[in-house]
Amino acid sequence: MSTPTQAPVATDYFAVFSLPRKLWIEMGALEQKFLQLSWKLHPDNFVNASDAEREASLRRSSELNDAYRTLRNPVDRMEYLLGIEGARREGEQKQQAPPELLEEVFELNESLDELREAKAEGGDLAGLRARLESAEKNFQQKLEQVDRELFAAAKQWDATVDAEASGANVHGEREAVKSRLNELLNRRSYIRNLVGNVQKELL
Amino acid sequence: MSRIVGIDLGTTNSLVAYIDAQTKEPKCIPGPYGSTLCPSVVSLDADGSIVVGEAARRRLLTQPERTIYSVKRLMGRGAADVQDELKLFPFRIDPNSKSVIRVQLGDKYFTPPEISAFILRELKNWAEAFLGEPVERAVVTVPAYFNDAQRQATKDAGKIAGLEIVRLVNEPTAAALAYGLHEKQRGHVAVYDLGGGTFDISVLKLISTSEGDIYQVLSTNGDTHLGGDDIDNLLQALVRERIRQEHSVEISGKPELSQELRKTLIASKHQLSAALNVDLRFSLGNGAIFAMPLSREHFENLIRPIVDRTMGPVKAALADAHLAPSEIEEVVLVGGTTRTPLIRSTVEEFFGRKPHTELNPDEVVALGAAVQANILERGVSNMLLLDVTPLSLGIETYGGAVSKIIPRNSTIPASAQEQYTTGVDNQTGIDIHVLQGERELAKDCRSLARFILKTAPAPAGLPRIEVKFLIDANGILQVSAKDLRTSEEHSIEVQPSYGINDAEIERMLEESIEYAEQDFAERQLIEARTESEAILSATEKALGNPQGTALPAEERAAIEASVASLRESVLGSDYKLIRRRIDELNRATERLAELLMNSAVQSALEGRKLAEV
Repeated sequence: MSTPTQAPVATDYFAVFSLPRKLWIEMGALEQKFLQLSWKLHPDNFVNASDAEREASLRRSSELNDAYRTLRNPVDRMEYLLGIEGARREGEQKQQAPPELLEEVFELNESLDELREAKAEGGDLAGLRARLESAEKNFQQKLEQVDRELFAAAKQWDATVDAEASGANVHGEREAVKSRLNELLNRRSYIRNLVGNVQKELL
Repeated sequence: MSRIVGIDLGTTNSLVAYIDAQTKEPKCIPGPYGSTLCPSVVSLDADGSIVVGEAARRRLLTQPERTIYSVKRLMGRGAADVQDELKLFPFRIDPNSKSVIRVQLGDKYFTPPEISAFILRELKNWAEAFLGEPVERAVVTVPAYFNDAQRQATKDAGKIAGLEIVRLVNEPTAAALAYGLHEKQRGHVAVYDLGGGTFDISVLKLISTSEGDIYQVLSTNGDTHLGGDDIDNLLQALVRERIRQEHSVEISGKPELSQELRKTLIASKHQLSAALNVDLRFSLGNGAIFAMPLSREHFENLIRPIVDRTMGPVKAALADAHLAPSEIEEVVLVGGTTRTPLIRSTVEEFFGRKPHTELNPDEVVALGAAVQANILERGVSNMLLLDVTPLSLGIETYGGAVSKIIPRNSTIPASAQEQYTTGVDNQTGIDIHVLQGERELAKDCRSLARFILKTAPAPAGLPRIEVKFLIDANGILQVSAKDLRTSEEHSIEVQPSYGINDAEIERMLEESIEYAEQDFAERQLIEARTESEAILSATEKALGNPQGTALPAEERAAIEASVASLRESVLGSDYKLIRRRIDELNRATERLAELLMNSAVQSALEGRKLAEV
């Protein structure tokens, strides 16, 4: 029987899978590793073991599952990476519209208000719906754009990790990419919320 | 370590299963009535003893006020939650119930875990009698969609019954284990489990690895208050209305008549799984007979809304697993209610493939529980089950909103950490409210626990406390806290919102042991006396036969001595002594039994006891 307490304690989710802190992860390999570690760590293996071993199995298998859940999802993975790199800043910016979107967001909110009013008091629902649907499409496209930019920034991040591994000093680039990723994630979550609100009203 | 059995603690029936040492296959254990199904019915006898199972089910008709069924519907629920149930079920709830409801049986009140404990103890007795060894540990199944409070209540029932529940396993997952072993399935499997009171749908991925087979649950969904009971209630409502119109007889308010009608309707429902028409006939007790033909078509139109209600969760589970119906390679039907033809055809149509029904839908969950028990005992080490939490775990934030910290369908064990600090100077406590559910507002989710995190007086924002929320392999929440400034670990006493505290469990355990000792000994005595009557009269008859009179005097004397000592033991109340004397008499009459048998069938009947000849 393997002992979960004997294995080294991982410092972060990437380390759980013995992976470098890179954003591109091969999913098939991640799953294989997850299953392999599950065999070793799952509490089912320790029903008759000591309290300490059972406790360790519970801690390490929950960490494994948390790590797999987080790394499997590209956006969660980025959020997590920025978190452990000390670069995730949501805070007050989260509720603020990115400046370049201000005008469109303002219009959208107006249409939303009108639709709510029209629903309550009767009015031209069809016209408003059509307007909101086209606005939703517009924001969906922006979301796709953000995702493309995130993908590009993620590639840049991985390049800095590789460069650093071969001894280069990329501190400046690293910080720049992190803040770029952070800004894109904030924009992404803002637009997603917006789209969510519109979809709720259109239901 | 002692053996672990598998138990399906069902709404309508409960079962216990074990792994047969020879065949390595899971098998259900029969009870005293020969059936493997133990009706989940509990009755409090007028003399204060507890009756469980088939005997209690019969009392539903004669002593409905002292008898309860479908108690699983009440597990882990508060008084406010069960108002809907009360309209349809004859539960008599203690009006003074606090967070945990108490139901009335005769002149006594019991919590749902206590009643479930009586059922668990009955199954434990079945297993001990069958296996001939003490049974102290079990894997118990729960609906996959059970929330934390319902799981906790089930664990409490185990404690009260004096049974260590080493693992709670989700019912559809257990069924998949039983089928997986049976059919050697691979790929994506959907398990549709409609029982007496609960509905689950689980989507699994069966993976072969070099170390063995992994059963990974991808998603689960369901409704913990949807099942065959609801079909019975619809039938009841329809027929009661007809009776009211045609005979001006009011069924409600007449517990005996009401139970009689329920029984008749359930029988008709079962008949309609095979027949296209049934003739309902029901005596109203006043000499009048109510008669009504019921076609399957009419029945299906009546229950279609219930069948449709199951399809919402099915679609949601597929969406969460990111799979289309066509990507499901195998569909498995579980639960007695899936014998209904409309359900079979609806599921078949949706997935575009014929569902598996090879294993008995009543037994398959218990069989799977035994398989999991065997895995935990390390009887097999080449199977691994990875299950998920059915509902998102969240904490209440400002304005009554919920922040999700562990999403639904996360593989368990799963955890999340949250950091807390104080908002005002010298604040000594932080209020934390843990919830389960998918809705955005706390008031629409299930409250799991509410507690105050104690902090030493300090300027606002200075304390930093990390709270760890962990869902264990049973799907049950554990909470711990760490002061990040001092690294001091706090263990948090979390009082579940709808739970029973440890002191109460202790008291209930003591009471249940009292009942159990009295019950079990009494029942064993009755059974032993009944059995000795059978063997005594068989022996008497055999001794009068030509083969008997031809016995050598010595052998005859030995038999007569055994008869006398058995007769003597029956006068006492030591059931163990009676059992021993029965065995002695059986041994003494072994040769006589052989002689009595027709020589042609003798070889087939070898080893038979006299009473069986």
